[in-house]
Amino acid sequence: MTAIDRQMDAPRAAPRPARNARQRKDTRTAFAFLAPFLILLLVFQYVPLAMMAKNAFMDYSLLNPDAAKFVGMLNFEDMFYFDDARESLAATFLFALIVVLIVIPLGFVLALFLNSTLPARALVRTIIMLPVVTSAVVVATMWNFLLDPSNGLINGVIALFGLPRQPFLTSPNQALIMISVMTAWQQVGFATILFLGGLQGVPKELSEAARIDGATRWQVLWNITVPLLSRTTLFVVVIMTVFSLQAFAPAFLMTDGGPNSSTNLIVYHIYKMAFVMQNAGYASALSLVLLLIVLGISLLQMWLLRAKWNY
Amino acid sequence: MTALRRPLALTLILLLILACFFAPFLWIVSNSFKPQLGIFSDVTPISWRTFLPLEPVLDNYRSLFERTNILRALLNTAIVSVGQVTLTLILCAMAAYALTRIKFRGSQVVFVVILLTFLLPVEAMLVPLFQVVSGLGLANSLLGVMIPWIASPFGLFLLKQAFEELPRDLEDAARIDGAGHVRTFFSIILPNVKVPLLTLGLVTFLFSWNSFLWPLVIAQNPDIQLIQVAIAQQGSPTQLPNWGETFAGATVATLPLILLFLVLQKYFTQGMAMSGIKG
Amino acid sequence: MKHVLFAALAGGTALTALPALAQQSECTAEPVTLRILRTPGNYPYPAAIEAWQQEHPCVSFEINEVPFAQLGDTIAVQAASDDPPDILVYDGPNTQSYAKAGILLPVTDYLPEGWDDDILPATKAEHSYEGEVYSPGIEQTTVAMYYNKALTDAAGVTPPQTLDEAWTWPEALEAFKACQQGEAGAPSVWGLGPTRFGNGQPGLVYQDLIYQRSNGDPEADPESTAYKTFWAMAPDGSTVEGYLDTPEAIEALTFYRALFNEEGVAPKVGIPNAFFDGKACFYIDTPAAGSALLKDPVIEWGITPMPYFKSPVVHTGSTTIGVTARSNNPEIAAQFAVDMSWGELAYMNVSQRGNLPTLKSLFDRFPIYQDYPMKVFVDQLEEWGQPRPPSPYFAQYDRVVTDALRSVAFGGDPEEAMQNAEREVARAMRR
Repeated sequence: MTAIDRQMDAPRAAPRPARNARQRKDTRTAFAFLAPFLILLLVFQYVPLAMMAKNAFMDYSLLNPDAAKFVGMLNFEDMFYFDDARESLAATFLFALIVVLIVIPLGFVLALFLNSTLPARALVRTIIMLPVVTSAVVVATMWNFLLDPSNGLINGVIALFGLPRQPFLTSPNQALIMISVMTAWQQVGFATILFLGGLQGVPKELSEAARIDGATRWQVLWNITVPLLSRTTLFVVVIMTVFSLQAFAPAFLMTDGGPNSSTNLIVYHIYKMAFVMQNAGYASALSLVLLLIVLGISLLQMWLLRAKWNY
Repeated sequence: MTALRRPLALTLILLLILACFFAPFLWIVSNSFKPQLGIFSDVTPISWRTFLPLEPVLDNYRSLFERTNILRALLNTAIVSVGQVTLTLILCAMAAYALTRIKFRGSQVVFVVILLTFLLPVEAMLVPLFQVVSGLGLANSLLGVMIPWIASPFGLFLLKQAFEELPRDLEDAARIDGAGHVRTFFSIILPNVKVPLLTLGLVTFLFSWNSFLWPLVIAQNPDIQLIQVAIAQQGSPTQLPNWGETFAGATVATLPLILLFLVLQKYFTQGMAMSGIKG
Repeated sequence: MKHVLFAALAGGTALTALPALAQQSECTAEPVTLRILRTPGNYPYPAAIEAWQQEHPCVSFEINEVPFAQLGDTIAVQAASDDPPDILVYDGPNTQSYAKAGILLPVTDYLPEGWDDDILPATKAEHSYEGEVYSPGIEQTTVAMYYNKALTDAAGVTPPQTLDEAWTWPEALEAFKACQQGEAGAPSVWGLGPTRFGNGQPGLVYQDLIYQRSNGDPEADPESTAYKTFWAMAPDGSTVEGYLDTPEAIEALTFYRALFNEEGVAPKVGIPNAFFDGKACFYIDTPAAGSALLKDPVIEWGITPMPYFKSPVVHTGSTTIGVTARSNNPEIAAQFAVDMSWGELAYMNVSQRGNLPTLKSLFDRFPIYQDYPMKVFVDQLEEWGQPRPPSPYFAQYDRVVTDALRSVAFGGDPEEAMQNAEREVARAMRR
């Protein structure tokens, strides 16, 4: 901290010594308050970030990290030469897309319900929040059993309607959809809460005025409420996308990234590359790409929200 | 719309929501009281027996607690979660105080430095973070599990917002009485932000209790295993998971959070809503 | 409050100490503590350790146990640290990876006289790298096919009991179909039950790579695809290109895929205890299942040798014991590892678990292996045993090929899966 202190103090050969001393004392106090936070932030965010940037250009394994060697752009070239990065990113984005497509309409409708005067709101709110507070591990374990081809509950329900049993997680066509549905199931309560926050911010007078002017409920919803919630919606889309891009437990616990790499989510792929395939350099390069994607999405969101009108 | 149709439709929709979101929980919990073959035979055809243990047995729980280290894992997780909440609250509150209540050169720079990390996806930092924490000799320690997340940018923003809403008059009065920053912080500011502190504490607790990838990587010694990793590894190495026992484990791992949630639902929901608010 | 918290944290970092092992003899020299990293309940067993300590009164032990699923990661982390454990008990096929990474110490110079003649060749091959032996090996194991006698009798099927009469895979398939009860793909009794390894899904190299390997020929011209199919990797470990994606392998894999799909005689996911609950006619497992059934015969059972296409083959291997190169007490640790795997102490260790010894001289001391049914395991080991393809990249090979086999079992195209596997293994080997 002394280095920073000195830096802060240096340009201050100010003419008013009394105030200067006060300022200096304040600066010192401020940094004393900030020091623990900043030190941890430096050690556990910025140092790893720098290491990651460096390691992305190295070839090394966690078994023997001292034997790392510089390989230039090789790890990035590999992303184009081999299929794994493309496939994994495609699976991850498709996963995020399905999650968003389910969560947004469902979350919105549930939020409308919770914002209404209909009965049983408290019960519904509690129940849809249960999956949100349940861990990804428990949810994945639970769904592993729900989706079991022979003894699972969902196949039990399907059999009840006389339909053929489904393979779900062992089918390359169904596995990704199923883990997306599961993740949407888990997150929809969260989206509902966010939408509800947005709905409660919509001024009541607007819709009341429209109703007096003869608009139907449906018209009010479609022409007033939905446009006013565009900020919230964008926001929920971004949150859900970023969440989905970082999903790990479903691939790790339910599918091992298979069948045929169809559920090889990027964070799981990074984990596997570093800890199983012992290719930590490549894993770092993939991490860097993921980081840039997430950063890009977040910045895009900030930019879009800044440009839009407020309510 | 007739007066009759609406309640009927509503009831149906409510039942559907109930079935989709609640039935899986009910199935897991009630089947944790059944022997494995009972779970299998009750699932087809589906009936009310699927969701109710007619002859409940405690075997799954008994073997869970006797055969596995789950008690230890629960204790470890409790230590990590409480530790992480405590330290996060202290560090974030201190930093938020400095940024909102002390005027100093460089505060903008500090703010940007923190703001940038807000956008970093933690999962992407796994490998280098692992190297840093093991390089510090903190691999396989409970401190190593929690320490990277204590300086939480989210926590700082949440508290910074709360601090900014406090009226200046509060501390000006204290200033006149000659109180320094330390005293102002403890006796003026903190007592006035109890709700934000509780909200942040709950959200931190939730994330800490439920975290999986990081503990999986950094805490490999069974003595410091955390609950989520323990649940994920039930049945391994060379044994298939026993359904009933896995259900019992999932129930035990989730129950504390559900209870906490039911009691403090309002703050939880508020915290979750806030956790979405970036930048 | 804070003090309590930090005390708890410090406590959490301590290793599992095992100091209470008996030390009756007097220690007159400098005391030494050896640290062992292993999976829970694995060898070395207390009886053998205590016997050894009689001769080495100055040595005590500290044992750290991690679940099998995490063992690889833990070794990766701890062995490269400044304060590594002295002894590793790890999965044998990783020997070459660890030797190449400089994690393991060669123990060649510590091996007792006569070791070379007494050790099973497959064990020695698996634990050697560039002319040095890195682990003496304690036990050996392999898989055979168990059957439920009540179910096979009811179906009029009589499985062979000796290696000479072993079924080919098509013959075995006929038996699976005859014995299975209920609709194919969702029967009440499966023809071939799920594996007990991993999460119960098919594809593991240890159990399922032998389908295609057995469709090759070890004696054929080394340039031929039959030869390459059998070895499934260049015998010098240099390449896999042309070894996995051969016409013979594809043929075998097409059959393998049919078991789980068209024929529907084997499940794609695990069913816990299926064989022991009478829900499967046949079941592939190690001697451990037989030992359990001998103790508690919940069903009437028998063992038939592993089926094959052209060249019978079974995989060998088990967890084994090694010494870290960065151990602070390399000499005494190496001595300990070698002693645990030789003579009486080796017997004490192996007999605890019910797997097979690695020393030919010990086979006589396991009477249950001298007669049918358990004798099938000994015969298979001696006549058909092959290590999983030895290579410093085994861990990567294991993972890539397992993924490929699993995707075939789930209905994927064998050609595409194996082509991709060859590419991915070649990529790992590039370094």
